[in-house]
Amino acid sequence: MKVEIDTRSIWVLLGIKTLRPLFFILISIGLWAVVTMEPADGLSPEGQRAIGVFLLCLVLWVSNMVPVAITSLLAIVLVPLLGILPRSETYAFFGNEAVFFILGAFILAGAVMHSGLSNRIALTMMKRYGHSPRRLLVSIFLLAAVLSFFMSEHAVAAMLLPIALEISKALGLRPGRSNYGKLLFFALAWGSVIGGVATFLGGARVPLALGILQETTDSTIGFIEYTVAVFPLVVVLLIVGYLVLTRIFPVDIPDVAKAMGVIEKRAKGLGRLRYSEYAVGVVMLLTIAAWSTLGHTIGLSTVSLIAVAVLFVFRLVRWKNIEEYVNWGIILMYGGAIILGSALDKSGAARWLVESLISDWATSQWAVFAVFSFLAIALTESMSNAAVIAVLVPVSIGMSDNLGIDPALLTYAIAVPAGLAFMLPMSTPANAIAISSGYVSVKDMVKGGFIMFLTAWVVFNLVAAFYWPLIGLGG
Amino acid sequence: MKQGRKVLIVLSTSGTPESALEYAVKRASEEGTGLVAFYPVDSDLASEAFDSFTDIGFIGDKPSSELSESLMREYRQRGYEELGRVQVLAMEAAIEYEPIMEDGNFVPQVLDVIGRYDIDLAVLVSRREHSFIKYFSRDMAGEVKKQAGCEVVIFPEK
Repeated sequence: MKVEIDTRSIWVLLGIKTLRPLFFILISIGLWAVVTMEPADGLSPEGQRAIGVFLLCLVLWVSNMVPVAITSLLAIVLVPLLGILPRSETYAFFGNEAVFFILGAFILAGAVMHSGLSNRIALTMMKRYGHSPRRLLVSIFLLAAVLSFFMSEHAVAAMLLPIALEISKALGLRPGRSNYGKLLFFALAWGSVIGGVATFLGGARVPLALGILQETTDSTIGFIEYTVAVFPLVVVLLIVGYLVLTRIFPVDIPDVAKAMGVIEKRAKGLGRLRYSEYAVGVVMLLTIAAWSTLGHTIGLSTVSLIAVAVLFVFRLVRWKNIEEYVNWGIILMYGGAIILGSALDKSGAARWLVESLISDWATSQWAVFAVFSFLAIALTESMSNAAVIAVLVPVSIGMSDNLGIDPALLTYAIAVPAGLAFMLPMSTPANAIAISSGYVSVKDMVKGGFIMFLTAWVVFNLVAAFYWPLIGLGG
Repeated sequence: MKQGRKVLIVLSTSGTPESALEYAVKRASEEGTGLVAFYPVDSDLASEAFDSFTDIGFIGDKPSSELSESLMREYRQRGYEELGRVQVLAMEAAIEYEPIMEDGNFVPQVLDVIGRYDIDLAVLVSRREHSFIKYFSRDMAGEVKKQAGCEVVIFPEK
């Protein structure tokens, strides 16, 4: 048997071996120090402890030393344990509407994927419109975006990966070298990311932000209201994204005839439209219509859960299928994030943080909006977008009172940019799969992603400044 | 052909330079030995994508595992293509050729192949990295060179 000898310096090896336990010891000591020290002026002991838990979660979410859902679980445990909120009140936050809306939306997306409808839509669109290299690229880019309006952007990226790999193979694109190979996987990743911010369904971050907004201020944002506010940003980013990509990586193939063969073969393999695909599509469309029209009156989560019940009543899915498509850790993640946000608000910690750290420079509404949107878009490059929401939304809402800003406006300022991660593979799973395909390198992603990062922030602020007043938002 | 002695070319998952391939074939041809081509399958990238989808993306087990299976299938396909490329060169040089594709950790896997096939010369490819990053990351090809009981020639990646 061969024995593997690691030849790196002993200090490097010792450092690596002791890093993890040392990290947990240090953050435990840090939490203990914050919790036990004399509360700062104007801060209650509960507020001080809430800040301790907040900092702990922040460090764990940024460092990724444990899965994000487990960090949320820690918040759930620590909030009642440290006496920040009573136990019964803490666990009651799991009943927040946002948690059930997210769950319902994920189950619906699972049903769409399981029925094969999403795959059929993708192949039909590519077959119909992708007859030249540029048109195929635009088809994939728009397809990823449009599908992410209706289901999780991560699920869209995962679904499109095998198709993109087959197209690349059929076209003989060399991983890491072919510009068109890079373009296909960038289109898949960035299309999902940009489309994912267009509605509440592209990811769970907007419902999560709404959940925190609702728990702390009793106000909310409507399904259509949100999409109308964000849509111009999505359109501009799709255009800029396409231009940036084709400028950095010019198309280097003459035609896509071989790819069309693959797409047609795959589409033929799906057979005729089945009853389950048709019915799931109808349920999805009716649900979106109900979210748009009845969301304010009966609640988004009620609509989601009715739609889920309908899927089962008509036997369009079975529980076993849904279990395979839904990650139940989402309940822990989002329930925990809402608990953390509420603990910061109810203990007075959010207000104290705002007054002592931010109020000096936060003199104008637009400066606050620009800074929070910048923090959100910058932080989301290195941490989970849901974690960005959990960290920034409670603080921003605490600030809205001081400046007389509508808290919903600051919720937009964080919830939208928190979904726009373009630069790094750890920013979002869609970027991770573009890298793991081997066609896109981290260097490629940072180069194009940085331009998109700045563009997205500037365009978002311009949309907020000039378009939102026209639709009666923040005017 | 010398009995039992062979030249090993370890193919890079991100592209083996022509110079490394030509060198390995030339040495095998000159010394009258067989050529073994080894393609290590990088399963870490597929499992990282799986982890990122389940931990951050919160998508279910089925789409996550379908995703990593697609990636693994793709990596293996690339391996077959790379091994096929070497086979063409070996046939042109009229030398005996053996292709291998295996999953696992790079260093022990390459050392195992060296031992199993009684390798005389191993040709490897190393990634170009900044010296600062090099200090903290493992130089896999360098480690094989230190531990292998045969001649090892390293080519920089394209």
